[in-house]
Amino acid sequence: MPRQPSPDFSTSVKLKYVKLGYQYLVNHFLTLLLIPMIATTALELFRRGPEEISTLYDSIEFDVLHITFSVFVIIFVLIVYFMSRPRPVYLVDYACFKPSPSCRVPFATFMEHTSMICEDPKSVQFQTRILERSGLGEETCLPPANHYIPPNPTMEAARAEAQLVIFSAIDDLIKKTGLQPKHIDILVVNCSLFSPTPSLSAMIVNKYKLRSNIKSFNLSGMGCSAGLLSIDLARDLLQVHPGSNALVISTEIITPNFYKGNRRDMLLPNCLFRMGAAAVLLSNRRRDASRAKYRLLHLVRTHKGADDRAYRCVYQEEDSDGHCGISLSKDLMAIAGDALKSNITTIGPLVLPMSEQLLFFFTLVGRKLIKPNLRPYIPDFKQAFEHFCIHAGGRAVIDELQKSLQLSAEHVEASRMTLHRFGNTSSSSLWYELNYIESKGRMRRGNRVWQIGFGSGFKCNSAVWKCLRTVKTPVDGPWEECADRYPVDIPEIVKL
Amino acid sequence: MEVLATLTVLFLLYSLYLLYKSYILKRSTNCYLVDYVCFKPSSDREITTRKCGEIMERNKTLGLAEYKFLLKVLVGSGIGERTYGPRNIIEGREESPTLDDAIQEMDEFLDVTVHDLFVKTNISPSDVDVLVVNISTFCPAPSLASRIVHRYNMRKDVKTYNLSSMGCSATLVAIDVVQNIFKSGKKTIAVVVTSESISPNWYSGNDRSMMLGNCLFRCGGSVMLLTNDPAMRSQSKMRLKCLVRTHIGANDDAFNSAVQKEDDMGRVGVHLSKSLPKSAVHAFSQNLKRLMPKVLPYREMALLVYRIVKQKVVQRNTKLNTLVAQIDFKSGVDHFCLHTGGTAVIDAVGRALRLSEYDVEPARMTLHRWGNTSASSIWYVLGYMEAKKRLKRNDRVLMISFGSGFKCNSCLWEVCRDLGDGDVWEDCIKDYPPQILVNP
Repeated sequence: MPRQPSPDFSTSVKLKYVKLGYQYLVNHFLTLLLIPMIATTALELFRRGPEEISTLYDSIEFDVLHITFSVFVIIFVLIVYFMSRPRPVYLVDYACFKPSPSCRVPFATFMEHTSMICEDPKSVQFQTRILERSGLGEETCLPPANHYIPPNPTMEAARAEAQLVIFSAIDDLIKKTGLQPKHIDILVVNCSLFSPTPSLSAMIVNKYKLRSNIKSFNLSGMGCSAGLLSIDLARDLLQVHPGSNALVISTEIITPNFYKGNRRDMLLPNCLFRMGAAAVLLSNRRRDASRAKYRLLHLVRTHKGADDRAYRCVYQEEDSDGHCGISLSKDLMAIAGDALKSNITTIGPLVLPMSEQLLFFFTLVGRKLIKPNLRPYIPDFKQAFEHFCIHAGGRAVIDELQKSLQLSAEHVEASRMTLHRFGNTSSSSLWYELNYIESKGRMRRGNRVWQIGFGSGFKCNSAVWKCLRTVKTPVDGPWEECADRYPVDIPEIVKL
Repeated sequence: MEVLATLTVLFLLYSLYLLYKSYILKRSTNCYLVDYVCFKPSSDREITTRKCGEIMERNKTLGLAEYKFLLKVLVGSGIGERTYGPRNIIEGREESPTLDDAIQEMDEFLDVTVHDLFVKTNISPSDVDVLVVNISTFCPAPSLASRIVHRYNMRKDVKTYNLSSMGCSATLVAIDVVQNIFKSGKKTIAVVVTSESISPNWYSGNDRSMMLGNCLFRCGGSVMLLTNDPAMRSQSKMRLKCLVRTHIGANDDAFNSAVQKEDDMGRVGVHLSKSLPKSAVHAFSQNLKRLMPKVLPYREMALLVYRIVKQKVVQRNTKLNTLVAQIDFKSGVDHFCLHTGGTAVIDAVGRALRLSEYDVEPARMTLHRWGNTSASSIWYVLGYMEAKKRLKRNDRVLMISFGSGFKCNSCLWEVCRDLGDGDVWEDCIKDYPPQILVNP
């Protein structure tokens, strides 16, 4: 995306004020229209004089029947109107898995393990270089099975990891919300790369003794954006079942997915993916509205699978030695940017204020009709949202999005710090980022949050939440002990 | 005064408009099954009982006792001579399946069936709004749902869901997802893809509880097109009346009745415990309890209530089992699509519902012709009924399936018009039912 040339200081200040004035005018158009109307009515009243007004008032005949009928009609219309609106979906609360320090993988440990497991020294060197530039910190965690040399990825170990991360997140959520497991109506679980029989959703039903008429769903293989897909499914169900709540679990199980080969494009996930899970409680009950933290405003899904390059960019396959791994193509950034653009064209009109939409519309018209090489106008999303949660897929993804959306360092701080402290926890990363924003005391009532997730397929999903009550610090969660140490300065390259 | 009158009229008109809108929305909440296509693999993938025996023989870890046990299971399974297996197992590579084998198996299924479905229903892939895929034991990245989107160039706003590891009853879970999306009233076209991946799931050890899957599961799959658009009612085959899901995973025995795990030698297989039949019965009875009021006609329900009252009050007897056994399900249901989990399952369900041989014939014949194709089996059973021209307008069809977890899901369909499309049964329907079902 072309950068705007920086004009000289005084002109830029003038431009800024012109822009502010324009935004204020367009966004508050209707309110501003009211002022002349009120002025004219007031003037008219003063002109007529009080006696004339009282005679006017007395001359109106109030037919009782007519009045009652009108009142009933108004009440009837209001009832029908409110009943036909879609049910609101509230996020009551959520909890993220807090890994224990014994699962930590500092750089030294990772490099030591890699050099002992990998036969090819070039692969070890490559992984070292990746780790240096990854933006990860020293406190990210891998599951116990990956601490063995060589790693011990049995089904037993994978189940143990699933039980550890999922149950601990659900237990935290139960403590926070006072949720009774017997009251859960809908359960959606998403875990991309591990789907045992019986499913993880059945495992949760068994552990917490959920009801037999529960609607459970287990999504798999849908990548790092699957968290928002699960929220979408839960939302569809909540529209149809009044007075229900839904428990959504997003996780990624690392144990069975360690790549043992030497292909570079498949070694990347080993370096970036870390343990994590999130449990989210959604509800459409009116009584939860007062204690809910957020309300879901919009959820937009974009699937670029029809395009060959996009489909192949995150692809699970076997290398020439038969080792299974996930290859990430070099086009990943470009495809992510493209998918985001598609997503924005749908979500833009739903969230942007009128001023931005008009500007975008006029530049589009200008480009099509008048001057084809007019610079495309990138809408300013900072006007629509106060907080951004960008999937912590890797440093490059965050950099790319910061550039495309013209965000400041503070806007992407949550994503960068989550990547540093927890690594790429796949679909649950968005919830760790949200927790960071809350832990820093930045979440106020009325703030809007934009969560963007990317995943294999290639999908780009985004969700818009509105904060319903100011979140007071300290916040229970994985950032509780370390929020004070953040933000940290993450160097471009960490020398290992 | 005129102002008030005009305002009232305006409000009234607006409320009438809102009512009309909600009526239109309500009308579009029905779930219609427009058509479905079952998969018939190519004839070079046919496995006879003898071939099965040969494949079993290849497993060097089996002792004579185990081999005999397996042969006994095969012969008494009710599975015929023309079922289908995956290529890698037929070609002798069952012990080391590759990712490519599994993907090839899926591609062979998806390329043919999904294409046939679009041709049959005259819908273009870009019209599809929702895609739900359930293939239990195989979930690559990108998902199989994405694979279909890619293969058929679907729109970028298509809603995809890839359900996994939900067992043999997952097809009804997929239908549940679709019917919930339909209830929003917006005109939607949905495609549901159901199958099972056999290639990567061959058990190569000698634990008896894990070997049954090898004998019974076969390749198969089906694809369905559903919609809530009332305009497509005339070309639809059936309409969904109700769907009941029961999950008894809270019970430890039920949860552990079918578990995928490693045996003592570290080989992965699905362990079927001895409590499986009991769990199935328990799940089934729970499901029936909720299904009965929705399926049985009022007369039958009234009779049941009368009998319960009589037994409890007059005879002071609180055992209700005999009462349930006296219920005549055939008063509310005309046809039964039972999951072909095995002869034992079909017999047990048939006994519980007091079904005749005629009623369980479609399930038995499906088991014979196609084996246990897991979640898609009920669609083959439906295909049999259609090929035999049993499905007439306003008939009611009950589908029941069981799955690991332990789940029992059931749904009731109402037939929209007389059906007679043979589909995959076309070439062999005249041979059914055969005189003998026992294998050589």
